[in-house]
Amino acid sequence: MNKVLVIAKKELKAYFRSPIAYIVLIITISVFNIFFFMIIDQNREATLRDVFKAMEFLFIFIVPLLTMKVFSEERLTGTMEFLMTTPTTNTAIVLGKYLGSLIFFTLIIGLTSSYYFIIEFFAQPDRLAILTGYLGIWLEGALFLAIGILASSWTRNQIIAAMSSYATLFLLYFSITFIKYFSGLAQTLIRYIGTWSHAENFAVGLLTTADLVYYLSGIVICIALTRLSIDNRLWR
Amino acid sequence: MIIAKQVTKYFGGFAALKGISFEIGRGEIVGFLGQNGAGKTTLMRILTSYLPATSGGVFIAGVDVAKNSLAIRKKIGYLPETPPLYTNMTVGDYLKFAAQLKDVPIKQQRIQIDKVLTECNIKDVRDKTIGTLSKGYKQRVGIAQAIINDPEVLILDEPTIGLDPVQIIQVRNLIRSLEYKRTVILSTHILSEIQQIAHRVLIIKSGEIIVDRSLEELLSEFDSNLEDTFLRLHSAKENQ
Repeated sequence: MNKVLVIAKKELKAYFRSPIAYIVLIITISVFNIFFFMIIDQNREATLRDVFKAMEFLFIFIVPLLTMKVFSEERLTGTMEFLMTTPTTNTAIVLGKYLGSLIFFTLIIGLTSSYYFIIEFFAQPDRLAILTGYLGIWLEGALFLAIGILASSWTRNQIIAAMSSYATLFLLYFSITFIKYFSGLAQTLIRYIGTWSHAENFAVGLLTTADLVYYLSGIVICIALTRLSIDNRLWR
Repeated sequence: MIIAKQVTKYFGGFAALKGISFEIGRGEIVGFLGQNGAGKTTLMRILTSYLPATSGGVFIAGVDVAKNSLAIRKKIGYLPETPPLYTNMTVGDYLKFAAQLKDVPIKQQRIQIDKVLTECNIKDVRDKTIGTLSKGYKQRVGIAQAIINDPEVLILDEPTIGLDPVQIIQVRNLIRSLEYKRTVILSTHILSEIQQIAHRVLIIKSGEIIVDRSLEELLSEFDSNLEDTFLRLHSAKENQ
């Protein structure tokens, strides 16, 4: 456990030692702010439902930028050999790296909490819906991060890592669009696998076991696959 | 201390190591000698548990490397061919990170870091970012990382590559100062280096050990310097 924290701390520091962290933070928050203003201005409703939707969509673009270097850089520079010859389990390495990026991501989400205070100041929003909405986008981001980290463990090339996570995230997000071409079991399956139907419930204040299980199991599966992927010695 | 039994390693159809066996006692300094591509790095990676052997086994202090790699990794310090450095970290931060991962007790960490900074002569760059350092400094930071947990076994893959003559002497002295306390394995293709540090030489050629002798024995038998000996043994093997 201790090692998980050590690695998470190192990951987090690595974000802030490079300009990526600041660029991502500033651009993301600025874009979120613009969307927040536009949506609130247009809807004139004291709800963050559509803001959450916009944020969710933007995550697809941001998360791969955060995760692309997580494992691929270590492989490229040979530091993976260092990590894996210290008395640290592979599970601790994967969990530490995941935790590090999750904390950074939580920071981004945390910075948007001002939206709540703004609408609370002007109206009476449904607090519960906002809370579950935040939980929803946080879980969604956590799943995206797990996918991005898995993609990063496949290759030593950061561009390939980013592209594979973009492809996977787009598929998950837009799968609902193609649902009309399928029927029966395939349709149910696609509806379940796609993120669209799950995130929506959270934004309107619905907390269902199915949605929680969807996100949590997705995260666990991706982490387990990442663990397998770095264990795979073919690439060494 | 270290026993290798019939270690074989295949990469696909290519045999990188073909049944290598040797024993290394505590406190010995052993040099792996061989041309580029002879299998030195592969052998070292197997010793550190980073790569699994296709067949055969390695035992360090009686423990099977493949079966109990976590226990083994506590005992070894390893410097890979390219020093494994995080270029955007400072030297101090990096060594702290290494100490934490290598189970150096919290109270000991500062002491150990100071010790290796002095031993490797890198105190002056403690707060510098690793990426800005010269090759020689980077190499020494790599060595510092390897000895931070006072390992029983030190495995150094080409430790003096890229260093200037003064630094090479420093590194040699450093390795020699570890004599009797630790078992040191180093690989190199620079013959004079082995001659000056090692007690024993393993000459590896195309994945096989062609010579396993104490340095003294080897030199007296062939009555010449190591370079001639190496070349003679090498061509003798080729003519077989």
